[in-house]
Amino acid sequence: MNRILALAEKEFLQIRRDHVLPRLIVLLPSLMLLLFGYTINFTLKGIPLAVYDASQDRISQTLLEELAKEDRFRLVHRAASPEAVVQAVDRGQARVGLVVPAGALEKVRRGESLSLEVYVDGTDPNFAFQAQAALRKAIQEVNARILLGRAMAGEGVLPPLSPSLHTLYNPENRTAWFMIPGIIGLVLTMFTVLLTALSIVREVESRMMESLLASPVRPHEMVLGKVLPYLFIAFGVALLVLALGHWVFGVPVRGSLALLLLAMFLFVLGSLAAGVLISTLARTQVQAVFGTYAYAFPTIFLSGFVFPIDGMPRLFQLLSYLVPARYLIEVLCGVMLKGVGFGVLWPHLLALALFSGLVLFLASARFQRQVAV
Amino acid sequence: MVQAEKVSRGFGSVRALDRVSLEVRPGEVFGLLGPNGAGKTTLVRILTGVLKPDGGRAWVAGLEVGREPHRVKARIGYATQEQSVYRDLTVGENLLFRARLYRPKEAGLLAKEVLERFGLLPYAKALAGHLSGGWRQRLALAQAVAHRPEVLFLDEPTTGLDPLSRRSVWELIHQEAERGAAVLVTTHYMDEAERCHRLALLFGGRVLATGTPQELKALAKAKARFLYAPGLSLKEARGMPGVLEAWPSGAGVRLIARREAPLGGLEEVEPSLEDVFTLLTKEAL
Repeated sequence: MNRILALAEKEFLQIRRDHVLPRLIVLLPSLMLLLFGYTINFTLKGIPLAVYDASQDRISQTLLEELAKEDRFRLVHRAASPEAVVQAVDRGQARVGLVVPAGALEKVRRGESLSLEVYVDGTDPNFAFQAQAALRKAIQEVNARILLGRAMAGEGVLPPLSPSLHTLYNPENRTAWFMIPGIIGLVLTMFTVLLTALSIVREVESRMMESLLASPVRPHEMVLGKVLPYLFIAFGVALLVLALGHWVFGVPVRGSLALLLLAMFLFVLGSLAAGVLISTLARTQVQAVFGTYAYAFPTIFLSGFVFPIDGMPRLFQLLSYLVPARYLIEVLCGVMLKGVGFGVLWPHLLALALFSGLVLFLASARFQRQVAV
Repeated sequence: MVQAEKVSRGFGSVRALDRVSLEVRPGEVFGLLGPNGAGKTTLVRILTGVLKPDGGRAWVAGLEVGREPHRVKARIGYATQEQSVYRDLTVGENLLFRARLYRPKEAGLLAKEVLERFGLLPYAKALAGHLSGGWRQRLALAQAVAHRPEVLFLDEPTTGLDPLSRRSVWELIHQEAERGAAVLVTTHYMDEAERCHRLALLFGGRVLATGTPQELKALAKAKARFLYAPGLSLKEARGMPGVLEAWPSGAGVRLIARREAPLGGLEEVEPSLEDVFTLLTKEAL
């Protein structure tokens, strides 16, 4: 126990002596949170719109007003012809073009269907999808108003099916709300795995390991002494991200904080063990960095943090079950946004515990073998 | 205090150590002399319990290394070839850290005591990375002895140091032996070997000879003649009958020749340990 403390304190001293590292440890996740929170926006606003309006009547007015609602579209160009609308999209002046044919009001009055030509910049499928959805929503609104007007006048009928949508947990679709659990997962992965792996490999690379091996320090004491400081740091950083998310972006913590901490602890334990495992495979610090990337990339892509798991091919959906961050993010989202408890989340916690236990076992087995030459 | 019995170790097809036996007594500075690649470090690693031998047994501080490596490790000090100090920690922090690994309860006292004993007190708050090579080596030695080990292993403690620093390192080594520790020092500096109480000459993983410097020289003198020939050219010297080795020295040539070689009229000189080593390796090849 004394030796573990001596090792851990030495590690802390070394981190503190480093002029850059402590600042990076605090700044990097904060910056990441702010960047992700503000830049990655799944709810588009102010899509530039070019319009050729041949009708210039009440119907086209209502449609344009509806499009401009909630800043969804921004009218940037009133084209002189239908061709000019497409040209505006070509030039990149607008990303969505709309052509309203002449005589809209008359057609609607006569009960005929009015065909609107819409051109969407499809270079970014995600953007196109959202723009289309926003367009449909606006057109539906206009339709509903026309039908409502008719129904009040005693003619026509209301549309038979009309959705009444309830978006749960994150009703305003705030990206930051969804991102913060993911960023906590990412920070916990990167920091623990990378810092642990680096600190052990550095010890080997600078040949300090030799003299530690000749001291009465046992292998498990060495691992614990190395891992403890980073456990504290990772937890501190995770709490910092949580606090920032709460105060800056208003992310709620609706469920139990204890459950949140338990999941984080289980996850960090596994990540630290993964760091030790990587350190036994890597000979140099550069190798350790790349080893960490190899471990962290699946975490980013398969955990559902950036790309929705439901959108992946079947094989990758199955692979995502092997990524512990997936379970962590499930628990974090569950506790923070949904406010559900242990009764719902226990399978994820169990998966985390199993994963961490397995990696811990592998890491200590490999470390023992490496030490006993 | 240290006893090795037919210790062998190979790395792949290379035989790094071949049935090495030796003994180091308490209060003795024992030198392990040999060129690079002779197996010095391998032997030290086996005796400190870091590496397992393929064959043979070793006892250190009364314990068999192979059976109780952890108890052995607690009783020895080991200064590795590379100065094993954390450059980003201060001198004091380095010493305290080491002392805590061995004797957590008395660590503070031990660290302070060794700071004084090694004259490191003025540097206690300096970063180890800012010390000169000589002072950093002093710190490395201080670390190895901070917990007052019964047995001390020093792997090439003077390599790369200037003559003054080397002298002071040797003083410290003898200081430890006087305290009662058994000290095993490896070196490839032949002149330094004179400072050891006893020596083993290691070459190609085998012990060629063991004894005091005087004994080794006597052994060499019994086997060969060590001569100085002023005014002779190297080529002439090498062409003479019974000459084992010849090299230029000042205005003449130094020779090692067979005892029975007919070389009259040349000046007999006292062999240095380097001469002894040259002769014995020549024989071994």
